[in-house]
Amino acid sequence: MPSPLRSAVNAAASALNAERARIEVAVSNLANIESTRGPDGQPYKRRDVVLQSNPVNSFDSVLGRASATGVKVAAVVEDQAAPRRRYEPSHPDADAEGYVALPNVDPAEEMVDMLSAARAYQANLTAIGLIRDMVSRALDLGK
Amino acid sequence: MGQVSDAAIMDALRRQMTVVAARQVVAASNLANVNTPGYRAKEVGFDEALSSKLAAAAGMQTTNAKHLAGEPVGDVTLNETADLPSRRDGNNVQIDRELLSMARASGEFSAAQTALAAKFRLVRYALNDSR
Repeated sequence: MPSPLRSAVNAAASALNAERARIEVAVSNLANIESTRGPDGQPYKRRDVVLQSNPVNSFDSVLGRASATGVKVAAVVEDQAAPRRRYEPSHPDADAEGYVALPNVDPAEEMVDMLSAARAYQANLTAIGLIRDMVSRALDLGK
Repeated sequence: MGQVSDAAIMDALRRQMTVVAARQVVAASNLANVNTPGYRAKEVGFDEALSSKLAAAAGMQTTNAKHLAGEPVGDVTLNETADLPSRRDGNNVQIDRELLSMARASGEFSAAQTALAAKFRLVRYALNDSR
């Protein structure tokens, strides 16, 4: 496969990875929407994926040739916003005033995140298909 | 009409395929970074593509009638795409725009490939004594 097109496939593949990570994080946020106890005894904190662009083929860029820019997960950070509070005196984790601290997860926000990640995933899959078409057309020249 | 050699036509087609492949790579990169904060969409410099085409038309200096007018492959540079509205995170990639440009590049590549394959067939025909 010609090198520039291979780097384009690598870039799209890195995006598939990154978008999958976003979906995984959104799913675990949604799953833990009522988790009042984490490993540290505190309510679960919403997690967020930080994406960073990442040149996939530095050799080509050194040569000044067209090279693809992929993406990578730079970090998964915890959202430091204050927890939601709900009045529920019978809950074992309620404080002295009867309030329970719940994770700072907003379901609507997670759904939007998941949707945008899924769309980007689809777009990158389509891109890989288009590049594959081009490569197989180029290989047809040898027939 | 001046005579155009087979070599010049094949070279132009090869050049076309190189530029189109570069466009495909750039669109794939933009698409990969559709959710990267602060990423700016890029495109293959039009001037570069044009000047490399003009260079192909001019050909290289030949000091002997038997020299072929080959020329080095023009390097492709990337520019930031101008006039795209950016989102709040500073990213200005539009999925539909990039997918469209990839589909177009794919079609242009197919066209050049078909022409080049036809040229190769002619050469093979000549090599095989018109059989």
